[in-house]
Amino acid sequence: MMKPNALMQQQEPQAVAIQNSNQASSADAPPKQVAMAMDRLAQAARLIADVRLGADRLLEALFIAAQPHQSNKPLHLFAKEDTAMRQHLQDLRAVGRQLEESGVLNDSLRSRSNSWGLHMPLVCPDGAVVAYAWKRQLAGQAGASAVDRTRLALKAFTDQKRQFFPHLDDGLEGQSDEPASKKHCSTQVPPATLQEDLSDCKTLSDVLTRLEKEMPNLKVFTYERLDWLKRASSLPNSTNENPVEASKEHTFHSLNKLRTGSQGPVTTDKAAVIELLFPSVFRAIVSLHPAGSIDPDAVAFFSPDEGGSYVHTRGFSVHHVFRHITEHAAMALQHFLGIGTETALYSFCKCGRLLAMDRESSLLLPPVHRPYRHFSPLKVSSAPATSSAKDQFPGAYHIGCFSEEL
Amino acid sequence: MPLKWVLHWQPNAGTTVNTQILNEVSQCVESINGVKEGRWKATLTSYKPMVREQSLTAEFPRDFFGISLPEQPNKYYFMIRGQRLVVEADSTIQTIMDKLQSYKSRVALCFEGFQYQLGDFQLRVGKVVPSHSENLRGIVMEVEYLPISSMEKARQIMEEFVDIWQEAISKRSLPGHFMHIEPNFSEYGLLDHYTPQHTAVQYATVVAQMIATQTVQATRN
Repeated sequence: MMKPNALMQQQEPQAVAIQNSNQASSADAPPKQVAMAMDRLAQAARLIADVRLGADRLLEALFIAAQPHQSNKPLHLFAKEDTAMRQHLQDLRAVGRQLEESGVLNDSLRSRSNSWGLHMPLVCPDGAVVAYAWKRQLAGQAGASAVDRTRLALKAFTDQKRQFFPHLDDGLEGQSDEPASKKHCSTQVPPATLQEDLSDCKTLSDVLTRLEKEMPNLKVFTYERLDWLKRASSLPNSTNENPVEASKEHTFHSLNKLRTGSQGPVTTDKAAVIELLFPSVFRAIVSLHPAGSIDPDAVAFFSPDEGGSYVHTRGFSVHHVFRHITEHAAMALQHFLGIGTETALYSFCKCGRLLAMDRESSLLLPPVHRPYRHFSPLKVSSAPATSSAKDQFPGAYHIGCFSEEL
Repeated sequence: MPLKWVLHWQPNAGTTVNTQILNEVSQCVESINGVKEGRWKATLTSYKPMVREQSLTAEFPRDFFGISLPEQPNKYYFMIRGQRLVVEADSTIQTIMDKLQSYKSRVALCFEGFQYQLGDFQLRVGKVVPSHSENLRGIVMEVEYLPISSMEKARQIMEEFVDIWQEAISKRSLPGHFMHIEPNFSEYGLLDHYTPQHTAVQYATVVAQMIATQTVQATRN
């Protein structure tokens, strides 16, 4: 393997060497061509890394130079790095030309005969490098899914970092990546009405007001992040509280008092946690990042009787049904940057029954999946399912009856 | 508090309940993937007034019950069915009653058996035996749905569960079936939010029903 330093020394002869190697390569057997192409790609990758390091060193030198009382040291560093960088970039160009000529960066070799059924390595549009084009289909999928997974992991990490260490934010707050779900490649274009209405709801207050209007049975509260933790810990837990007193706690007025008493009215621009309480059915917690925006970053569902410090957007209910709903809601969240869906114990699955045995967990569960790809927030009815309500919105599905095409 | 339905076994006319049926019921629970967790026991006591003159007993309610529930070890629940009264008291009230000697226990029934977990459902299958006796008088089954406390909201779920259960048990061709009688909770002043008082009332109803059935059977025989 040629090292960058070695390349530097061979600067002049290299131009000739390239010519020779190309002539040689056309006479080489395809396996050798492939091997050389792979080598050159690896070289290119190393040169790119060198360029990056060099940039860092240049910045460092500049930084030191900006400090008072420095010697000529930073100037030397800078000059040295400058030379090195120029060299790396030149080498990179050379390797790039070699790769182009050998057909790696485009498909030109595909049509060449005498390739023994092999093709030159291809750099796929998604960045994966594949040695043999005929494996591209398989490798491309594997590579693409690896890229997807990495992208998702990076996004998750970045989100968490932004949420918990906002002072480290580098100003990229406004950009949220599109969900990288592979199945979602062909985006569903929402109907025109939906788009109009969503564009009306630009601020958190708009969204909440609309929500309260559409679903009068749903109680909506907002909190600052730490205040939610206090509230969650003070929620009555049905196993250790007197249930009669607990039910008194749940009245709207006392909840309101609790909220305003402890933290004062929460202006929506500071709201980081939204509590959606559908009395006697569920309590959903949505966390927003940044606070006051309409960008949710997590959602979780719980029984209205659950209380304790685990009741937050990254916690899980002790009940299976709410765990499943939470998982599904998290997927829907990824797909669909909007407020989480409401689940209803009233809706029917296409199989006509409310409870069905979930094969995977061997449990009887009500429908926990609502197809979210065609979800229109306008049409959700808060009334119990009558036949007209069923027609209005897509019902909820059991896990077994749920199919991915939905 | 999670809500529950208390079902009881209604034997076919001319038959009685026996331990074979109880075993079949337990096996049926396990066949729908119920996981056995432990034992449970509740005790229901029927009280009679202690009066000097026997003729005066008619003036006092005959349906005065007390029940202890396993989920509420420190409480004791009193009911007078005829007047639709249910009250929660501390379990030490039984000591006070002993001291007062105004009411004595006429009959005490024990409901005991095993408890099963089935996802978000909890089932309790129990035999009904008079205390200090092994004479099987009946079978009860509690169906509890943990995530929800509102009876109305969970009604459909519970109905479907009971349907599934009835379907499973009917495959075993047993001489009888499970019944669920829903008492009129509002007459007792109870609300939609489920409480142990609801359980107490359900048990009193079940016992009344069992007594009625067995009286009819006795007169038939």
